[in-house]
Amino acid sequence: MNGAHHEEHEHHEHHGHHGQVSDVEARALALESLLREKGLVDSRDVDELVSRYEHDVGPLLGARLVARAWVDPAFRDRLLHDANAVLRELGISGEGLNIVVVANEPGVHDAVVCTLCSCYPWPVIGLPPVWYKSAPYRSRMVREPREVLREFGLELDDATRVRVWDSSAEQRYLILPERPVGTEGWSEDDLVPLVTRDCMIGVARPGTGGV
Amino acid sequence: MDVDPEIAHAAGPAALPRRNGELVFTAPWQGRAFGMAVALQRGGRFAWRDFQERLEREIGGAGPDDDAARYYEHWLAALERLAVDRGLVDGEELGRRAGEYRSGLRDEVF
Amino acid sequence: MNGVHDMGGAHGHGPVVVEPDEPVFHARWEGRVWAMARLCLRRGLFNTDELRWGIERMPPARYLDASYYERWLTSVETLAREKGVAGAGPVRPSGRNPACEAPPRPRFRAGDRVRTRNVHPAGHTRLPWYARARRGVVERVRPPALLPDTNVGPVSRDWEPVYSVRFESRELWGESGRAGDAVLLDVFERYLEPSATEGEEEVR
Repeated sequence: MNGAHHEEHEHHEHHGHHGQVSDVEARALALESLLREKGLVDSRDVDELVSRYEHDVGPLLGARLVARAWVDPAFRDRLLHDANAVLRELGISGEGLNIVVVANEPGVHDAVVCTLCSCYPWPVIGLPPVWYKSAPYRSRMVREPREVLREFGLELDDATRVRVWDSSAEQRYLILPERPVGTEGWSEDDLVPLVTRDCMIGVARPGTGGV
Repeated sequence: MDVDPEIAHAAGPAALPRRNGELVFTAPWQGRAFGMAVALQRGGRFAWRDFQERLEREIGGAGPDDDAARYYEHWLAALERLAVDRGLVDGEELGRRAGEYRSGLRDEVF
Repeated sequence: MNGVHDMGGAHGHGPVVVEPDEPVFHARWEGRVWAMARLCLRRGLFNTDELRWGIERMPPARYLDASYYERWLTSVETLAREKGVAGAGPVRPSGRNPACEAPPRPRFRAGDRVRTRNVHPAGHTRLPWYARARRGVVERVRPPALLPDTNVGPVSRDWEPVYSVRFESRELWGESGRAGDAVLLDVFERYLEPSATEGEEEVR
């Protein structure tokens, strides 16, 4: 389910095809090689642009932070203590960057809302979906979170307590969910696809098919 | 390098394929086609709206498409046409070069 | 202000509707509005508090009917007018938010019992209606920030300590609340006072 969009581009292994190059691939290669020859593009710029748009425009950055926190306890501690410092080290900075990572603990489920407008940790998970900014979510999440979560397909048992973070100042909250059972020994790369935008907002569990 | 919202967040049928908010590339050539178009725009070779218009024309009446491969075929076609129209590459030379890659005569990759 | 935007706890808005795999912008103009607003922010024509305040001042019915980016657009139009962009006179930008030269000392610490004030400012504020005159516990002290209430034109830049304050669900919603659940709200120090400590019944 999560496979396709995480296919690695191993540019340097590309030429194992030996005549198996598809039409469209051949055209793309031809175009790039001609443009390079004429000095119109630099392939490293192309690389960087692809990476920038891929990684900066959606939840992938947040997912990578979560996956790494799952495998690396020291990283997790630093992330919880000062997420902005960690992001600066990764080259993510910018005025107003103010991310706070909140970890679900056993028995506690966290979720994020902005009742007053739509504040959201967009530098790490992309722009918010319409439902997050909608009146139903904003009005109900602080008063009846369990009912809202149930509508998202997330059932919590009676022993679990809910904390809803209302982003009413500068802090933008990102939820670090608990690592799913059954993923022991998985690599960070294997874990990334389990971390969806919805589980970093707190309306889904990781790896369960939320968006 | 700043992400240009006009490019990243185009709307309608020309919207970049996404899953879970992330850009989807199902093969390396798609990312290259994407990056090339953006690199040329940043280099001032064309305005993004010019590319966008071509792309929309290629996509034609088809609605938003989940299939990244199909989308990027349209993208590549739009890019080729624009590159040729603007004199950035020669149409015949492009065809010849593609043939060389197809036949395995040329195999340099990026 | 006690406007319709302040909707935490409101009834009647219905179920959350989710559009699967929705695009970030549903129409081209939305992306243009977003980009325009961000550029204006970056250039200091107005600040984020003013952008929000422009939205909050929309007539209630219009606010509720408008799509998210329509609200942004309305606010940018309002601010453009107010800052003199759309007239013959000089432009009066607010300037970008400065860095904090002398961080104020926080009055409260984690674990302190606090109560939000029963204030109802007509202007911009970030203390939601649902959390006024409510008792809570400071969960965490946050870095100081500019008080939104006074950061809207004409701006007077007041650095205030900020706290994540925990409010029990029952404290906020009475019997409709759920024991054990809580809301963590970021509260500016000016919105807080110490809560009575001795003899006050704790709501759980």
